Amino acid sequence: MSSIISTLPRLWTRRLLTRIPVHLRTRCGVSLITAAALLFPLINANDADIDAAANALAFAALALGLNIVVGFAGLLDLGYAAFFAIGAYAYGIASSWQVQPEWSSFWEPFRWLDLVARYHLPTGDVVHFQVSFWLMLPIAAVIAAFFGVLFGAPTLRLKGDYLAIVTLGFGEIVPIVARNTPSITNGAMGLNGVAAPQLFGYDFGVNATPYYYVGVALVAFLILTSLRLKDSRIGRAWMAIREDETAAAAMGVDRIRFKLLAFAIGAAFAGATGTFYVAKLQTATPEMFMFPVSVMVLVMIVFGGIGSVWGVVVGALSLQVLQSWFLEDLSGWLHSLGRLVHIDWLQHVELASSIELIFGLILVFMMLFRREGLMPATRRTAALTLDEQTAQAGRGGFDRLPALAAANPRAAGPLLEISDLTVRFGGLVALRSVELNVPAGTVVAVIGPNGSGKSTLFNAVTGLVAPDRGNILFSGEAIARSRPHAVLERGIARTFQNIRLFPNLTVLENVMIGMHARLDTGAVGALLRLPANRREEATAREQALAILSLFGNRLLPRADHLAASLSYANRRRTEIARALASQPKVLLLDEPTAGMNPAETLELADQIQSLNRHGLTILLIEHKLDVVAMLAEKVVVLDHGEKIAEGSPAAVRRDEEVIRAYLGRSAACA
Amino acid sequence: MSDYGVLLQQVVNGLSLGAMYALLALGFTLVYGILELINFAHFNVFMVSSFVGMWALELLGISGQGRVLTGLALAGALLFAFAVTMLAAGVLGVAIERLSLRPLRGVRGTAAMITTIGVSYILFNVILLTVGAGSQNYPNPLPVVRWQLGEVTLELRELLIWAVALVLMLALHLFVSRTRLGKAMRATAQDAEAARMMGVDVDRVIVAAFFLGSALAGAAALIFGLYYNYTSFIVGYTAGLRAFTAAVLGGIGSIPGAMLGGLLIGLIETLGGQLIAVRWTDVIIFSILVLVLVFVPTGLLGRATPTKS
Repeated sequence: MSSIISTLPRLWTRRLLTRIPVHLRTRCGVSLITAAALLFPLINANDADIDAAANALAFAALALGLNIVVGFAGLLDLGYAAFFAIGAYAYGIASSWQVQPEWSSFWEPFRWLDLVARYHLPTGDVVHFQVSFWLMLPIAAVIAAFFGVLFGAPTLRLKGDYLAIVTLGFGEIVPIVARNTPSITNGAMGLNGVAAPQLFGYDFGVNATPYYYVGVALVAFLILTSLRLKDSRIGRAWMAIREDETAAAAMGVDRIRFKLLAFAIGAAFAGATGTFYVAKLQTATPEMFMFPVSVMVLVMIVFGGIGSVWGVVVGALSLQVLQSWFLEDLSGWLHSLGRLVHIDWLQHVELASSIELIFGLILVFMMLFRREGLMPATRRTAALTLDEQTAQAGRGGFDRLPALAAANPRAAGPLLEISDLTVRFGGLVALRSVELNVPAGTVVAVIGPNGSGKSTLFNAVTGLVAPDRGNILFSGEAIARSRPHAVLERGIARTFQNIRLFPNLTVLENVMIGMHARLDTGAVGALLRLPANRREEATAREQALAILSLFGNRLLPRADHLAASLSYANRRRTEIARALASQPKVLLLDEPTAGMNPAETLELADQIQSLNRHGLTILLIEHKLDVVAMLAEKVVVLDHGEKIAEGSPAAVRRDEEVIRAYLGRSAACA
Repeated sequence: MSDYGVLLQQVVNGLSLGAMYALLALGFTLVYGILELINFAHFNVFMVSSFVGMWALELLGISGQGRVLTGLALAGALLFAFAVTMLAAGVLGVAIERLSLRPLRGVRGTAAMITTIGVSYILFNVILLTVGAGSQNYPNPLPVVRWQLGEVTLELRELLIWAVALVLMLALHLFVSRTRLGKAMRATAQDAEAARMMGVDVDRVIVAAFFLGSALAGAAALIFGLYYNYTSFIVGYTAGLRAFTAAVLGGIGSIPGAMLGGLLIGLIETLGGQLIAVRWTDVIIFSILVLVLVFVPTGLLGRATPTKS
C-alpha cells in the first residue's frame, strides 16, 4: 500500500498520509479497496458493467500469476495464455457433454463421488462428467502447474531468454492442439454447454453478479498469496535468481527447484483463472487463448509495475477499463467533435480496434521511460542523517560472533583437501593437478599473478566450474562436481572478486538470502504463515541485523537501502555479511580488500582475523602481500594454473620460483 | 507419381522454403551473436517487408500473377524489388535499434526483449489497421516455367530463390570474413568489451548487424511473396518462429549454423507435412526446438554454450 502513496504527487494529502503509521495505513487502504470491491454491484447495477468487471478480475488474476514468473523470478513467459487455456479446457471438458465414454463399472466409484453421472442412450449407457466447479478450481490449478513444470523444464539449463521463445511456442501449439483434437475439445467450434457453477443449490446461470464475487474472492486470494510469497524465503530466492543467478546459486538457492516452483505457481494461477473464465462464459474456443492474450497480460504487468503485486492488479484493471469503456466513450466523443467541426474522418475513428496498437506502444514507452511501472515494486528510502553516515575506520575486529562460534567448534585435521585438481577451458589449462590442504581453523592465502587460476580454484571448490579431474574433500566427503547450492549447504560460503550482490534488493534482503539454506519455510509455509514460519522469519531478520551490526555504523543504517546504492567498500562488506549469514565452516574470500584504502584494509584484515579466532576456517585470495603476511598461516602460490610454492608467508617471500613468477627472470638473478 | 517421387518433390519444395528460413534466421543470429538479445521485432520486420516488396512491384505496374515479364525487364523488375525491399527493411531494422533499443543498452534483465515484443506488436497492428486483415494477392512477374527432371518438377521461381539465397549468403560470408566491419563484427560477437577496448565502434557494429539482418529478412519476405503469391499481416509470426527454430537448431550466433538450420527446417516442414499432416507442422517444428534446447543447446554448429555465465 505504501507504494501507492509514494506515487502520489507531493501534495498536502501525501504529507498527511505519511503521518499515519504504515501498518494502519495499509489496513485502512485494504479495507477501503475491499469495501469498494464488495459494494460495486450494489452501486452500479448494470449487468453489462458487472460482467465487464468480472472479466477484468479474471485478467487481474492472470496478471498476478504472470507476475510470479516475470516479476519475481525474472523469467519472461510469452505463452502464458496456454495455461489459461489448459485450466479452461480442464473444467470445460469435466463439466460438459463433450466427452462421453461408454459406461463401465470402472466409473462406479466416480458416480458415488458425484463426479460423473450415468446416462441412458438408445445406443448404450454413457458417462457424463459433472465435476463441481469448486473442486475443479484447485484441480485445474494443479493440472496447469504440471504443464508449467513440463514447459519450463527444457529451458532450465539455458539462459533465461530461451524461456521466452519456448513459451511463445507452447502458447502457439496449445490452441493448435485444441483445434486439432475435436473429439475432446470440439475443435474450432469450441466447447459448448459448460455447466455453470452452483453454490448450495443456487445456480449461477448467466447472471454476472455471482461471477463477479467469485472473481473478487479469487483475486483477493491471489493477492494474499503473492504478497506472502514475495515477503518470504521463497520470494527472496526468486528475486535472487532474477538479480544474479550465479550468485543466488552460490548463496544456496537451488536454481532448478525454484525456477520450476515459479513456473508451477504462475501456471497454477492461470489454471484456476481459466476454470473461472470458462465457467463464466460457458464456452471455450481455441481463439480465446491465442498470442494476443499472452501479450495483453504482459502489457498489464509492465504497465502496473513488474514485480509489484498491487501494481499489476491496478495495471490489469485499468487496461481493462480502458478497453471496455474508455476507448468506446472516447471514440464517441471524437465522433461528436467530428460532426461539430465537420471533419469526416473524425466521425469514423474507432479507437477500440486499435487497442493492440496501444498495447504495443505501452510496452515500448514503459520500457524506455518508466521501467518500474506505475506503482514500482521498490520503495524509495529516506536519506541518512549525518550521524548515520559517519563511520571511522576501527581496529580490533569483531567483538562478538555468537551464532558463528556455535556453528564452528574448533576441529583438528584438514577441513578442505584438494588433490590433483585440473580444470580446462577448451585448450587452456586453468588449473593443473593442484594440491591444497586447508587445516581446520586456519587462514590459508592463495596468491599468484593475474590469470594464474586463483578464482578458477574458488569456482571449482564452490561448484560453479566442474573440474576435469581431481578430488575435493570437505570434512572427508567428496564435493567436486556438486552443485553450487549443495556446496553452500555443507558449509562453504564465498565472496566474488567482482562483487555479485543482488543490486535491486535491500542490504537486509541480501543478507537474508545468505540464510536461505539454513531456513526451512516452503511455499505452503510462506502462504499459511504458521507460528513456526513467523518465528523463523523473525529470528532470521534479527540474525541478519546482528550480522549487519558487526560492521558498526557502516551497514546497519543502510539495511533498507538497495545494494546498488552502496559504496564500493560497503558492497564488499555486505558480500561478506551475506556469506557469514549462511553460517559457514569455511569462508572463501576473493580479494576482499580490493579497492579499499589502507585504513579500511587494516580494519577488514582485523575483522577477518577475528572471524578466524572464532573458529572460522578461511581461504583467501589477496594481492596485498602485507595483508597476507598479517593473516595467513600458510600461503599457496599459483602460476599458470600450477602450484609453484607453499609455506609460511616468510618462506614463500624468499622462494625464487615465486620471485620469478611475480617479477620476472632478471629480478630473480639479481 | 510414386511415393518416392512425391517425397523427392517435397525435398525440392523444402529447399526453397529452407532458403527463405535461412535468410530470416540470419537476422536472429546476427543480433543474438552481438547483443545476446532475442529480437522479436524481426518477426514483423519480415512481415512489413513483404508489403514493401508488394508495393515496389506494384509501382512497376505489376499486379497479381497476370502480367508476366521476361528477359531484361524481368531481371530489372526483380532487381528493383529486391533492392527497395532490402533497403527499406534494413532502414527499418536500424530505426528500431536506434529508437527503442539503444536507450536500453546496458539495462539488465528482460527490458530489451520486452521492448522488441512491443515494437513487433506495433508493426503488426499498424499493418492490420492500415492495410486490413484480408490476405493480399501478391504481384508476381515470374513466368511459370517448369522443367521435368524424372519425377521431380523444377520451377523457375525455385531456381530464382536458390540463386538469390546463395548470392546473399555468399555476400554475407565475404562481408563478415573479408571486410574491416565484418572483422569488427566477429570480434564484438566474441567479446564486446575487449572489442571496444581495441577501438571497435561497437554501436556501429550493432547498427550493421541490424541493417544486414533486417535486409536479409527483406529478401526473405519478397521470396515469401513470390513463392506463395500472397501476404498478410500474420505471416511474420509463423515464419519468424520457424526461422528462430532454425537459428537455434543450427546454433544461435553461428552464421553457417543459421543457413544449415534454415534448410533443415524447410525440409522438416515439407516432409513432415507430407508424412504426418500439415495441421501438425507447427507442433513438429516446435518439438524440434524443445528437443534441440534440451539435448544440444549449442545447436549443430554453435560453439559457445548459451548458458548464463
